[in-house]
Amino acid sequence: MKFPDRSALGDMLGTGAIVGMGLFALFLLVAPSIIVLIISFDTRAFVSFPPQGFTFDWYLRVFEQRVLVEAMLNSLQVGITVTLLCIIMGVPTALVCVRGQFRGTTALSIFVLVPHMVPGIVLGVAVLFAAAAIGISPSIGLQSISITVFVLAVMVRTLMSRLQRMDPALEEAAANLGASPFQTLRTVTFPLLMPAILAGAVFTFIEGFDNISVAIFTHGFRDRPLPVELLALVQTTNTPLVAAVSGVQIVLAIIALIVVAASIGLEGVNE
Amino acid sequence: MTIAQDISLASSDKTAPVLRVENVSKRFGTFTVLQSCSISVSEGEIVTLLGSSGCGKTTLLRCIAGFWAPEEGMILIDGHNTVPVPVNRRPVGVVFQSYALFPHLTVEGNVAYGLRMRGVPRSEISRRVADALESVSLRGFENRYPSQLSGGQQQRVAIARVLVLEPRVLLLDEPFNALDAKLRGTMQIELRELIKRLGMTAIFVTHDQEEALTMSDRIAVMQGGRIEQVAPPDEIFDRPATAYVADFIGLSNFIPCKVRDGKVTLPDGQSVATKESDTVKVMIRPHNLRVTAQGTGPWQGQVRFQRNIGPLIEYIVTAGEAEIRVVAMRQDRTRPWSEGDAISLEVIDPEYCTIYPAV
Amino acid sequence: MVTISAPPDKPRRMDWLFDKLLSGQGIWPAVPAIIVLTVVAVIPFVMLLSLGVSEFSVSRGQIIDQTFSMRHVTSVLTDQLYWTTFQRSMSLALTTTAICLLLGYPVAYVFLIGGKWTRRMILILTIAPLLTSGIVRTYAWLVILGGRGVLNTAMMNIGLIDQPLRIVNTHWAVLIGMVQIHLPVMILPLIAVMSRHDRKLEEASANLGATRMGTLRNVVLPLSAPGIGTGAALVFTLSYTTFVVPQLLGGGNYLNAATMIYEQVVYSLEWSKASVMSMLLMSSCLVVLVGIALVTNHFTGWTRGRQG
Repeated sequence: MKFPDRSALGDMLGTGAIVGMGLFALFLLVAPSIIVLIISFDTRAFVSFPPQGFTFDWYLRVFEQRVLVEAMLNSLQVGITVTLLCIIMGVPTALVCVRGQFRGTTALSIFVLVPHMVPGIVLGVAVLFAAAAIGISPSIGLQSISITVFVLAVMVRTLMSRLQRMDPALEEAAANLGASPFQTLRTVTFPLLMPAILAGAVFTFIEGFDNISVAIFTHGFRDRPLPVELLALVQTTNTPLVAAVSGVQIVLAIIALIVVAASIGLEGVNE
Repeated sequence: MTIAQDISLASSDKTAPVLRVENVSKRFGTFTVLQSCSISVSEGEIVTLLGSSGCGKTTLLRCIAGFWAPEEGMILIDGHNTVPVPVNRRPVGVVFQSYALFPHLTVEGNVAYGLRMRGVPRSEISRRVADALESVSLRGFENRYPSQLSGGQQQRVAIARVLVLEPRVLLLDEPFNALDAKLRGTMQIELRELIKRLGMTAIFVTHDQEEALTMSDRIAVMQGGRIEQVAPPDEIFDRPATAYVADFIGLSNFIPCKVRDGKVTLPDGQSVATKESDTVKVMIRPHNLRVTAQGTGPWQGQVRFQRNIGPLIEYIVTAGEAEIRVVAMRQDRTRPWSEGDAISLEVIDPEYCTIYPAV
Repeated sequence: MVTISAPPDKPRRMDWLFDKLLSGQGIWPAVPAIIVLTVVAVIPFVMLLSLGVSEFSVSRGQIIDQTFSMRHVTSVLTDQLYWTTFQRSMSLALTTTAICLLLGYPVAYVFLIGGKWTRRMILILTIAPLLTSGIVRTYAWLVILGGRGVLNTAMMNIGLIDQPLRIVNTHWAVLIGMVQIHLPVMILPLIAVMSRHDRKLEEASANLGATRMGTLRNVVLPLSAPGIGTGAALVFTLSYTTFVVPQLLGGGNYLNAATMIYEQVVYSLEWSKASVMSMLLMSSCLVVLVGIALVTNHFTGWTRGRQG
């Protein structure tokens, strides 16, 4: 046999280059967030690098700004509403998509999954116009329901992938042991689905809290959610205040990450 | 409710079969998986549905359990047709191939599940669960989760989970599949003893003939959605009713022969009486043949292959067109025949051969 | 004594209702979702379409006097401004997709050859940004690329430049932001493919005499084609339709289709033009997605089972 010795060096260089590029990309993923975190503790009133001094002042300021706090509360409300709606509608829908005994389960799942593939901005514009046509003005409610429609797919997909991998014999066993369909759902399917529901809840909550593409067209004029407020703030101020808000959001993201890791595992995100 | 009472009353009649499957047919679309299968199982009997994959054995089991409804026929338990009875109200207990233990419940939770669904009082539940775990020797494992148990222990939990409900019929779907080969043998014997001790009526599904021969009082060999033969293990092996059963169970040699005057003449010159006419296939088990030195008989051949399987020696002999398998006991004083040796074959007991029409 | 083998009693009334809903395994449980999706997604899209081909006026946030007219469709299609805007959006999105693939694939390769902890680290670093607000992540680039930002300060400190470079509010800032923000979306599907990858294939490839690079090109790359397709489709859709990044890093000078729609709806109230543009945005996006799907399909013949 002939071994390609000649290319051994090239092989090492190639692998090295690819690994180097990969590490650079990974660095690119985290570096900005870390820089923002560092800046959020700066004592100076303008954004500059490297920072001088260390203070928690900007974080305190965030919670002193009524506009920001109200925006956060609005977003919190949207996030919770979206999550609850997604659970209430998503769990039964996922069950039907996977367990349905009628023609058209595939069509149904496509119908549910498609809105998430539509650009958020187009959905936002469409909902705004449709609401305007029948005389409904934008509000927290409109924003919540539009984002729900946008992200219901995420919940349904997470649940469907869990359901598809669940051993059908488990539910058959429950029935064989005397459980009625509803008892089976309550005592077997639902507990086993819990981690997926939790993970789905995290994603839908984050989307409800952070979504801008749909929210910017559907939010109430007086009830501005955090991302809309933040968008305006970023364009008008140059203080580390925004960095502090970002810091708060990064902490939120880390909590979300931990919940996801504990519920379906990080690998489960990709299913 | 009425069904329940009827069943408990009817069960006192010991002579009637516990389970009667009558002309059950099942189709998926245009594909027929069960073709009017009938079988009856009496109190305390263990019957195995045996066949290769796709023969319909699992379908029949699932119809009895109620997961699938047959298009035709009746499934009677203690004389009552259960076809219209929903799954969760049938007095049958299923042990699944994967065991299907609820991963979020402890051993105790799993075994108590059925009792809880029936609204049995708490105190009685714990007593019954303790008894059931005792009978499968799993006391002390109450608070473990299924993932913390070995395969054998999981199987016992799966059995305890249905035993505790005192089902009229126990259905076991390839219960040894998930176990490794070594454990399988001992578990088979243990499980048979357990079922016998509790006096349960049970139906097994398996594709493993050795398992079927070990476990069953009677075996139903299935093929293409039909039941080919139902008989005790010895009879299935010694007097297979059809050529398929003969071929499926154990090793067999099929030799085409002619019938003359109600008699079949075997290649070695001996003859057997038969009711068949014209051409037949004679099935001779490999251990019903003897290899002798060339010239001792009219059935001549050559050893093509010879191997040592522990206490036995297996030969593959080329005799004319045919390849004949012979199995002989290994005895240290006789020299085994070697590959290439020219030999003669002889049927030990002509009456032990079975005869089928040549299709 | 209770006959244990007896089937359970009739369920309670509420349970009975739920059983009825569930046991038929019919469509009923999905009805609320279907209604909501129809009212909040399907009907609005139909209306969006109808507004694009209408003449109407907006008064106090309400649409009045709607009549059929193709005026806005023709005006958008004939106006050079819209063509350039869409071209800009398209080239930006395609460039972003290409660079994301170029940066994301090596990460996926590191994931493939990496051990348990490397894999976990990569998963954390990719999923965490997805859980963070896009505005926050874009803001970070303002901090880095700004006049007195991290990059300029660093370059001036080492004497590379005397004057701060103007990066923010240029095409480059938008591109950098786009790439970094959509990178995780490219990496995740690639990682999904890689984690299903059978390492024995590489051993087989090496055993057959292939170098690492040879294995990458001839085995790993073709097998990850579905992931590349998915990633590219996601990155393209998002970067083609986002307005946050161009708005913040382009500083209002940089107009892409999405920012234009945003301005038409929120500031200039040209709702008919916004409707037409939304439809155009969606259909042009769909065309590219179909293109990506066709190309992916061409390279993933092995995923299809035997025919017939």
